[in-house]
Amino acid sequence: MDSSVNINSEIINFKQYLLSNTDILKDILSKLEKVSTKSREAFKSALTKDNRIDNQLLEINQSKTHGFAWFDTYRIGLRETLNWFTRLNNDNKSSEIDAAVTLFAFAEYLMQMRNGIMMSQSEIVRPSDLHLDDNDFEFMNDDSVRDLLEIGLSDKIKTVIVDSLDKDIHPSLGLNDETLDMIQDQFKKFTEEEILPHANEWHLKDALIPDDVLKKMAELGVFSIAIPENYGGLGMGKVAMCVVTEELSRGFLAAGSLGTRAEIAGELIRLGGTEEQKKKYLPEIASGNILTTAVFTEPNTGSDLGSLSTRAQLQGDDYIINGNKTWITHGARSDLMTVLARTDMNQKGYKGLSMFLVEKPRGNCEKPFPMEGMSGSEIEVLGYRGMKEYEIALEDIKVSRKNLLGEQEGNGFKQLMETFESARIQTAARAVGVAQNALELSLQYAKDRSQFGKQILKFPRIFNKLAWMAMETTVARQITLFSAREKDNDARCDIEAGMAKLLAARVAWSNADSALQIHGGNGYALEYPISRVLCDSRILNIFEGAAEIQAQIIVKGLLAR
Amino acid sequence: MKALVCVKRVIDYNVKIRVKSDKSGVETDNVKMSMNPFDEIAVEEAIRLKEKNQIQEVVILSIGTDKSQETIRSGLAMGGDRGILVKTEKDQLEPLTVGKIIKSVSDKEKPDLIILGKQAIDDDCNQTGQIVATLLEFPQATFASELKKNNDNTLEVTREVDGGLETVKINIPCVVTTDLRLNEPRYASLPNIMKAKQKKIDVLEIGSFDIDIKDRLQILEVNEPPERKPGIKVDDVDSLVEKLKNEAKVL
Ligand SMILES: Cc1cc2nc3c(=O)[nH]c(=O)nc-3n(C[C@H](O)[C@H](O)[C@H](O)COP(=O)(O)OP(=O)(O)OC[C@H]3O[C@@H](n4cnc5c(N)ncnc54)[C@H](O)[C@@H]3O)c2cc1C
Repeated sequence: MDSSVNINSEIINFKQYLLSNTDILKDILSKLEKVSTKSREAFKSALTKDNRIDNQLLEINQSKTHGFAWFDTYRIGLRETLNWFTRLNNDNKSSEIDAAVTLFAFAEYLMQMRNGIMMSQSEIVRPSDLHLDDNDFEFMNDDSVRDLLEIGLSDKIKTVIVDSLDKDIHPSLGLNDETLDMIQDQFKKFTEEEILPHANEWHLKDALIPDDVLKKMAELGVFSIAIPENYGGLGMGKVAMCVVTEELSRGFLAAGSLGTRAEIAGELIRLGGTEEQKKKYLPEIASGNILTTAVFTEPNTGSDLGSLSTRAQLQGDDYIINGNKTWITHGARSDLMTVLARTDMNQKGYKGLSMFLVEKPRGNCEKPFPMEGMSGSEIEVLGYRGMKEYEIALEDIKVSRKNLLGEQEGNGFKQLMETFESARIQTAARAVGVAQNALELSLQYAKDRSQFGKQILKFPRIFNKLAWMAMETTVARQITLFSAREKDNDARCDIEAGMAKLLAARVAWSNADSALQIHGGNGYALEYPISRVLCDSRILNIFEGAAEIQAQIIVKGLLAR
Repeated sequence: MKALVCVKRVIDYNVKIRVKSDKSGVETDNVKMSMNPFDEIAVEEAIRLKEKNQIQEVVILSIGTDKSQETIRSGLAMGGDRGILVKTEKDQLEPLTVGKIIKSVSDKEKPDLIILGKQAIDDDCNQTGQIVATLLEFPQATFASELKKNNDNTLEVTREVDGGLETVKINIPCVVTTDLRLNEPRYASLPNIMKAKQKKIDVLEIGSFDIDIKDRLQILEVNEPPERKPGIKVDDVDSLVEKLKNEAKVL
């Protein structure tokens, strides 16, 4: 350890310490990789039957295997946090708070990996669940690692983080690109001027985000980010999408989620559509002329989409769709539905499903479903307002066979799965935006509120929470941006995208909860935006793969590697 | 018609300014920088004239370090056509130096309208536009809150003055400095940000101008504004009057 750095001495420069001890962090990462491999191999041999992972055994060991998904999520999170700091530093852009956050993340997550990771408030996974024991964490007894833990967990490091936040210096985003910086800058401005001042009012009135705000977002290009240039889009890639999504969600979750629908429909058509379908719909989606809505979930099938029962039967040149759908976000004010329905009644599983592009007239609050055969009612919700959710009945809806995605039956589920990577990355970015919003609201409150003669920010129980929020938001953001970069480089990143979504959703909720706590009683008042952010943040663990399903997907991927 | 818009890279208006511990200036490390807001208004106005077909080309000029290219680029993303950076080593130049450089660039570019912010929010000098007009012997309209182009090669400019609004008519070519209420600058849209990447920025070394860039002013010390003292409660009107008389000395 660098002898000039002593946690008990007055002056500690965390950046200096980190720079002279980077090797220790790298070494920790390589140790963790070995530990992870050991756990994975142990699970593989315990769960394998007849040369393959046995689903029944997997289910019996569900909590343990999901614990492994969390363990590896932490590991990849730390890896990407160190990579982020290193890149910043190579560009001469790292600051004290970046170093402090990195050290804090390593110390805290490492301790949790050795002692127990909270998968949720009521489930802790411990090393013994992962086929690991004390010997596997022996490296944590090295003097150098102990020093790191002491420094990383100290109140001092958290004071430094919060002092910096107090001066408005947050951890760097580390976008590393002038164009992305400019995009971030413009959307930050847009969010601060056009979204943030109204978000609470929209929420409390349970109103749709106004049409003119939608129009402005369309003009800025929000719906065209991921659509290729030759179909009227910008073809900008996932990193740009994350930057825009985080900023908009920081203002209002629904604002960052409008683009999700364009993203899902856009990806479905881009990857699964015929040339004619692409030419017809993609430019219209990109311009914002067509608003889309994703129609998959049914009253009896949520996580288990593969068994859904809405039917689409071919009659002549048309399909006739019948069934009940639910939880359809933006179901009324939209022009195109992507409907997942069963075309092969003999196939009970996902193989019998097909995806349809169903045009409909746009509805509004007074007349939500001005289409014959389509009816529905609004589902009142805690948060995530601004687009409205509906339960919908489809009765003898006629669509041309030309509107079967890819004009081939039986591919619906596969087509949907191909969009999951992008959708998860986008949802992770939404969660990071919400997490950041919670941090900023509580930081401001902690500065403004005094008790016992001083700013509450100065009490360890308050600044420790704030430092924690800044640290976890950074880890979640960096794993999200990592997945996005991988996706942009055409590298497979389904596991990392799932990890990003899994972690970011937990962080959004825990940030919102801590932020509300910092507000005391006022946090519980509807008037204070944090009460909305708490409601908004709660959804992120449920949709786009509930936390349990997400962990399941991750661990299946890990065990197949 | 051609517009030359002059823009300066300054600390973002949202940033809480901190004075360096040696009092030599303000902290700029890891501090967010942006285009001076008044200059942003100037860019917006030039682009609006272009959209009305009253201007054919909008050239964005900045004088500063290499980083000022980012500032120019954000002007191009709003809709400017091309950029010129006059590159310096120093962060801050005095208005007279800047004025001389703008004159020199203007001699070459021959713009019909030179438009820039009435002041930069960092040094608050409020001099550059006036100096440029003087050096070029152009008419000037400062603190513009409305701007109209007439058909006879004149501009009608409404100015915000102490007593209210004053409307002047000036001949082109001219210098206009912008006030807050002239317009609300647009956000750069994603398509325009992408287009701006292809636009050209010419980089000229300040050494290639035959100009004396020596500072005329010396900064002795920069201090934080004094902190506001907390108020006190007085018991009655008499003691209030007493304090106003003897302590505050305002009565
Ligand atoms: C606000 C909101 C907006 C939505 N928007 C849309 C939309 O636009 N379009 C759309 O199609 N859908 C939408 N949904 C639906 C959403 O995708 C589903 O709610 C989600 O997939 C979970 O399904 P479910 O609600 O039926 O829960 P269930 O599948 O019934 O799950 C209930 C609980 O059981 C757990 N669970 C389920 N299976 C397992 C298992 N095998 N092992 C362990 N645990 C398990 C889940 O993780 C969850 O915690 C939205 C939902 C909400 C709340």
